[in-house]
Amino acid sequence: MSGEQKEKIITITLPTDTYFISGLRDMTLTLVKNLAKVSDQWAFRFQSVVDELCSNAIEYGSLPGENILIRFVIVPEERLEVVIEDTGGKKHAKAQELQEHLAKALKTDFSNAKSLRGRGLAQIVANWTDKLIFEDREGGGIRVKASKSLVGITVNRPTVAASAAKAKTGFVSIYE
Amino acid sequence: MASPIKMITSEQVLKTAAGEVVLKVIKLVGQLDESNVDDQARQIYDLIETFPQQAVLLFDMQELTYLNSKTIGYLTDWHLKMSEKQGKLALVGLRPNILDILNVVGLTQIVSNYESMEAAKQAVAA
Repeated sequence: MSGEQKEKIITITLPTDTYFISGLRDMTLTLVKNLAKVSDQWAFRFQSVVDELCSNAIEYGSLPGENILIRFVIVPEERLEVVIEDTGGKKHAKAQELQEHLAKALKTDFSNAKSLRGRGLAQIVANWTDKLIFEDREGGGIRVKASKSLVGITVNRPTVAASAAKAKTGFVSIYE
Repeated sequence: MASPIKMITSEQVLKTAAGEVVLKVIKLVGQLDESNVDDQARQIYDLIETFPQQAVLLFDMQELTYLNSKTIGYLTDWHLKMSEKQGKLALVGLRPNILDILNVVGLTQIVSNYESMEAAKQAVAA
């Protein structure tokens, strides 16, 4: 596998505070555009997926003063995965319950405004990922894995390395 | 500290084929997410309480760059509240990423949206 095709893993630990969510969204957009090279539409979609799952982990998962963990796994031209973990201090939910809750929330009657409420997260993550897995963490909390195939959704973007090399043009080393 | 969001309200009276309609516009500038949507929502609920019957509420979203699913829940509720007042609610100037979110959740099947304020006012006046 060439250096270009290697799996890239980025791990972020965030305090349980919605203050950081906006910055996380910006970072997600940059990551998926530059490393996964997805189209703008899919970059925004994945941004929503990450935002929804992280906000959920902050609101219902980890306690204030604790953290949530976000891990991006990017295999160029193959797949994009995000894993979000909370400590489960707040609601002590189990993975099975969340899976069932999600399945129920997906049964939305789009002709009825009242039936839309509380189902947005489910529709966003279910429609914009290929696989969504909930797992119970040892020691408490939930691990959510959301993955998406990159086949058909990437565009031609300059590589990160190419951009860095271009930025170096004109630099004169003091050691020459 | 919450994500940046600004709300600007305005009002006008539109002449329509059926008479006059009170048009309320709420312009949202910034992003709505878990850090700020509950506070903004409280202000909007308070505003809607003051609206007369049969008013039309337009959300000008041309400068709204992000909204989350909780915001969609609130929009759904405001749509219902305006309907209870025999009024209407519509969205204006949705950016592509916002329209994409609202489409996947299904809100665009229930709430009207227009590309421009002019198009929205023409639809209201008709």
